[in-house]
Amino acid sequence: MRSALSHVLKRNKLRHYEPSIGLDVTDYYAYYFMILKIAFRNIFRQKRRTILTALAMIVGFALLSLTIGLSDGAYGNIIAMFTRNRIGHIQVHRDGYLDKPSLYKTIDNAPAVGETIQRIVGVEAWTPRVYGAGLGSVGEKSTAVQIIGVDVVRETAATRFDQKVVEGSTLTETPSHEAVIGKGLAKIVSATVDSEIVIVSQGADGSIANDVYKIVGIAESGDDITDRVACYLHIEDAQELLVLEGRVHEIVVIVSNINRVDKITSAIETQLNDSTLDVAPWQVVAKSFYRAMRTDQQGDAISRLVIMLIVAIGVLNTVLMSVLERTREYGVLKAVGTKPGQIFWLVVCEVVIIALGSVCIGALLGVLVNYLLSIYGITYPEEITYGGMKLKTLYAVVNIRCLVIPAITVMLSAATVSLFPAIKAARIMPAQAMRTH
Amino acid sequence: MEQTEKTDVIITEGVTRVYAADGVPVNALNGIDLTIQSGEFTALVGPSGSGKTTFLNIISGLDAPTDGKVWLAGKVLSEMSGNELSDFRRDNIGFIFQAYNLIPVLTVEENVEYIMLLAGVPKAERHERVIAMLQAVGLKGVADRTPTQLSGGQQQRVAIARAMVSEPQIILADEPTANLDSKTGADLLEMMRRLNTGTGMTFIFSTHDPMVMEGATRLITLRDGRVDTDETK
Repeated sequence: MRSALSHVLKRNKLRHYEPSIGLDVTDYYAYYFMILKIAFRNIFRQKRRTILTALAMIVGFALLSLTIGLSDGAYGNIIAMFTRNRIGHIQVHRDGYLDKPSLYKTIDNAPAVGETIQRIVGVEAWTPRVYGAGLGSVGEKSTAVQIIGVDVVRETAATRFDQKVVEGSTLTETPSHEAVIGKGLAKIVSATVDSEIVIVSQGADGSIANDVYKIVGIAESGDDITDRVACYLHIEDAQELLVLEGRVHEIVVIVSNINRVDKITSAIETQLNDSTLDVAPWQVVAKSFYRAMRTDQQGDAISRLVIMLIVAIGVLNTVLMSVLERTREYGVLKAVGTKPGQIFWLVVCEVVIIALGSVCIGALLGVLVNYLLSIYGITYPEEITYGGMKLKTLYAVVNIRCLVIPAITVMLSAATVSLFPAIKAARIMPAQAMRTH
Repeated sequence: MEQTEKTDVIITEGVTRVYAADGVPVNALNGIDLTIQSGEFTALVGPSGSGKTTFLNIISGLDAPTDGKVWLAGKVLSEMSGNELSDFRRDNIGFIFQAYNLIPVLTVEENVEYIMLLAGVPKAERHERVIAMLQAVGLKGVADRTPTQLSGGQQQRVAIARAMVSEPQIILADEPTANLDSKTGADLLEMMRRLNTGTGMTFIFSTHDPMVMEGATRLITLRDGRVDTDETK
């Protein structure tokens, strides 16, 4: 024994190796591999506590993922309904029209503008519209109406106009002095299909405009306010009534991917290269709606924060318990030469390993639940209205946000809550720590 | 054993340690002045509560004195930062505790290797030293076992191997034979004695064990936190 020891100990002096000076890379990693090994073994040694900690993180991840999936699904649905069925994804107007709409602010060469837009990659459809205000009378009942001149073929392709007609039929493809009126308007003026509506307005040439149209259909757009005033005419009928001579007020653009709206808006601006025209994405066209929605989404962020706080407190509790129970071990590690910083990283490492595992399981669970809810949805007990749109079922979506946000939140909160126990472990006074049981 | 020049490895000057027990100050050490030279095989004796463990903790930097100074291998412990103290302990002191204090999740081999990993010793040399140490303490056959799979005597041998493997200047042992049967205790004591004479390491024990006292070359008796007697054999 003596010779064996002497052989080894006399030959090499350990104090020659200073880890901070000239430590070779292999050995540097060897130490951190040992830290990982200790962390892993501690995790499996205390299975019950590990499961509790992981459960808090997994449930937190899944809840966050579900909240985001449902929130994004609901808002996505609302935005899709709002844009696809009504305002489109992008609108083109004469400069200043959006701020102060006017009969006289028109786009003069709508077909050419439309054709230019159609050639841009990502544009699915476009449709021109004419707007005017007037007085609508059916029999002895009169009320204010909004004249909306639509290109029936293009409007149907772009915003599914035909699907809005809930009674009667849609407008014919050629100008035939027909009208489709909103459900609310029909109620106000007691109109039915086949009634005649007289519209009085002002022509762009200053003349008094008036004409009679046969009501062929009743429409429901999903927005009660619009439905109380909307009077849809064939675009050529509307241009004739308002003496617009082929001019339009608005070109609505539908894109194939709503997430590319900003890029396509810029592309349209570039291609049109016309300073008299304004090109605006839906977020600008419907500012108030967009802001209200963003505010709602921020409210969701607060609920996410509350979920994470609950998770963080749970994790903090179990990690702190773990550190307290192992106070003696940390004391020993320190006594034999482990630096406070190395003990700190050992504790953080354990929590981060559990968090990584939890994120993987939570991600599977979150995707599964969101996927099922994206197919089957949750039916509201009662139909709800948001921004004038009626919603019956809440569908979730599976997107990258459902994974990335919960993953970052769980990892960050786990790492953050591990700081306090890690600092506590690192600051342990060895002699005192080794007296604990 | 080669005859080497004796140097003062530990010097304490007026070391005092006061604990607050339920708000009441308790003097564990009352101004200890001692000098311990390299290669000594010293036993600290005295009744329970006399301050033996506290003294060992303070001279190793595991605890800080309330008053007084400790020089260890020429350095003042109280002037070192936490990291410096850790490095200093790693490179200069080996510990053998009464309760063994092995790292429960590591195997015997890993427990012995751990300090060398901290020191950045290359893998080949780590392996060579671990094998030699385990052979020296008679544990080569249980290298893959964890501490819970070992008897008390075997755990204490692992603790000795861990303390010795980094070839520290000083070995501090707190009641190393207290949890062992007399035969195992005698074997371990004999082994440490041989290491002391073979390598010139300084051993300081706190003990109640007459066998350890008998084997010591210097016997320091503490009573009420003070040095009562100090005999060199």
